[in-house]
Amino acid sequence: MSNELRLKQLELETLLEITNTLLEFENVKELLQEILDKACSILDASCGFILTEEKTSELFVPRVTFNINDEILNTIIFNAKRGFLGKLSHINDEKGYVEMDPMTLNKLDKEFSIVAPLKDKKKVIGAIILLDKELRTGISAFTNNDSSMLAAIAAQASVAYSNTNLLDTLIESRRFNTSVMESIHTGVITTNLFGEVDLINQAALGILKTYREDVVGNHYEIVFEKNRQLIDLLQRVESDSILLKESNHPLRVNEDDITVNVSISPLVDEEKGAIGLVIALEDISHLDKIKSTFKKYVSKQIVDQILENEDNLNLGGQELEVTTLFSDIRGFTSMSEKMSAKDVVDSLNEYFDKMIEVVFKHNGTLDKIIGDALMVIYGAPIGSNNDAERALLTAIEMQQKLEELNLLRKTRGQSPLEIGIGLNTGKVISGNIGSKVQMNYTVIGDAVNLSSRLCSFANAGQIIVSESVYNALKNKSNFAFREMTPIKVKGKEKPVAVFEVPYFKNDLFSSVEEKYYQIEQFLISNFPSHLVYHSIEHVKDVVEKCEQLGANEKLSEHKMHLLKTAAWLHDIGYIWDDKSHEERGCQFAKEFLPGWGFSKEEIETICGMIMATKIPQSPNNLLEQIICDADLDYLGRDDYFVISDRLFKELKNSRELSPTDWKKLQLEFFDKHRYFTESAQSMRSKGKQINAEKIANKN
Amino acid sequence: MSSFNVETKEVNNIVVITTDGYLNNFGGEQIAAVCTQKMSEGKNKFLLNMGNTKVVNSIGVSILIEIIEKLQQVDGKLGYCNLAPIVDKTFKIMGISKYSSIFENEEAGINTL
Repeated sequence: MSNELRLKQLELETLLEITNTLLEFENVKELLQEILDKACSILDASCGFILTEEKTSELFVPRVTFNINDEILNTIIFNAKRGFLGKLSHINDEKGYVEMDPMTLNKLDKEFSIVAPLKDKKKVIGAIILLDKELRTGISAFTNNDSSMLAAIAAQASVAYSNTNLLDTLIESRRFNTSVMESIHTGVITTNLFGEVDLINQAALGILKTYREDVVGNHYEIVFEKNRQLIDLLQRVESDSILLKESNHPLRVNEDDITVNVSISPLVDEEKGAIGLVIALEDISHLDKIKSTFKKYVSKQIVDQILENEDNLNLGGQELEVTTLFSDIRGFTSMSEKMSAKDVVDSLNEYFDKMIEVVFKHNGTLDKIIGDALMVIYGAPIGSNNDAERALLTAIEMQQKLEELNLLRKTRGQSPLEIGIGLNTGKVISGNIGSKVQMNYTVIGDAVNLSSRLCSFANAGQIIVSESVYNALKNKSNFAFREMTPIKVKGKEKPVAVFEVPYFKNDLFSSVEEKYYQIEQFLISNFPSHLVYHSIEHVKDVVEKCEQLGANEKLSEHKMHLLKTAAWLHDIGYIWDDKSHEERGCQFAKEFLPGWGFSKEEIETICGMIMATKIPQSPNNLLEQIICDADLDYLGRDDYFVISDRLFKELKNSRELSPTDWKKLQLEFFDKHRYFTESAQSMRSKGKQINAEKIANKN
Repeated sequence: MSSFNVETKEVNNIVVITTDGYLNNFGGEQIAAVCTQKMSEGKNKFLLNMGNTKVVNSIGVSILIEIIEKLQQVDGKLGYCNLAPIVDKTFKIMGISKYSSIFENEEAGINTL
């Protein structure tokens, strides 16, 4: 075979090889390098390079080079629209190549060139450039045969380049998708038609605490074998081709229980329909952690509000109006000196459990536990329009709960715990305060200090509030306030006004007489001083007469207890409201008698008695008749004029009332009044008649 | 790839020339120069380790043929080893494998030559 023939064979073999192997390349750069190497080799070029288009500009850039000085090459600007590259789109079959311009050749220190286009459809997307054809004797220009060969190589290369480019784009797109999948925090798992896991992203691996190789290829029933509920959901989506979302779904992962939000949707192929599932898992265990952490400080309701709308949260430093509650145990230090360390801790834990339960019931924010003292905030981090009211309700209920705890302590032979509570409303600075190492949400300011001082000032069992709390709540009918002598507190020049809040102690266990004594003390403390008739004396008189009439009517012990309780409470409403005192008395009974162990029906009976005393009296049963008769028992008694004189004075406090009007009023009242019970009628009718005559005859 | 380099060593009286780069006119000339020099020193067995030469052109091949012709005059031998598949194929098509030997690696070439 002649050398020429061998060369021709080599050319054809090379072309065939290019055709056969070009599709093997998955990487564009490797492909182009192979094309260039072979082109240079087969056409005896001393060197060469391939330019491809830069997607972001009109420039072509060297993508691969062969046997050429890259540094110089990279300084040359190859404009796609100008020079030899501009001519590439106009070449035809007759002359399938162009040559580089002399200036560029000169820069490269070369003499001859041949350039063939790489095309995608009709668009020039690159160029193969070979330089200086080698001869044994030196270099020469490329021949027409060379140009045909290069054109053929370029044509094959164009197809391969376009395909590989497409593949590159696909790979890039896949890489992009994978990158997106891997970078999202939501765990994503896809399954195929057979329910086997095809794909699982890093987040899902993290949530499931597993490895890709342990999951991919396994059926979802194996992957989620400990999670029957999730498998049921997956099967539902498979069978019904529906999208399912479930919040707070429990998930067993290894030996741990976590909480996730799950979204499962069918993976749909346009032609084949459902071909698998897409499972999205969002680990929300951290929210549970936040909740449980927050729950140590605020009630569940507040936690939910915070998580629902973080805008509600005022954690930054800012001025807020809050009500602060301080409480501490009186004499605990000296008491604890006589206790073992364990008893001290147990006692405090039991005490705080009870108290904090009350705090959270009224949506307070537990700020601090300092020794045996508590600091609670109302109005931060989330404020409301009843912060002071909730704070005072907490204080009262804390005292009441403590009574219950003390009864329990008594049965265990332990000393009772007694607390003093101070409340103040005022502007404070709130925020996360502390060092970088430990930072706590708290409030600071004068208003906080005053509340602490009031707490120190309060005696055991006492609730002391500042003027600001009093002003906020004085019109609330469910609280009573007794003004105390202003006190001097540290940091204030003038004595500050303080008010004691009397409250009704819960008392499920003490004797009936002890309970009546509590009411009596409460009435003594709180009856307004201008009520000279509706006083503790009147109440005690009615109680005494109820007892007497009830005995005459042979009431059972239980009914007598209801009757006497109603008698003690029948005028309690005067503490808050002169005009509708019966209604207010009933409200009080409904609020506090459950704490004394009265049932709803019993309280209704008691309220019925209280309401029956409203003038004109309207009793509907024996108990109501008895209390009505007891309330006006004095109408038929010898001391009528002493008592009625008090009523006259009390009435005159609120309206103009002349002696003549008073006489007329009494006579009209006597005329309309009647005793309902037989015993009252027999005991008082005669006396009442005598008293009526005395009034009539009085000048 | 912008240059061609050769390194020469002698093992068992065989001149081993390791090439790096495009075996074209320039590369072929460098190999020929080394061979001429060594032949003048009385060496007649040459092994080209072409592991780092992935591309050859016909001029490079024709120079190798010239070297083979010169070696035949002194009863010498030329062998190649570590050929890239495309180079191996080119050598076979160009017919030079008939007049010289192709070895899998340097050790085989040295043992056989």
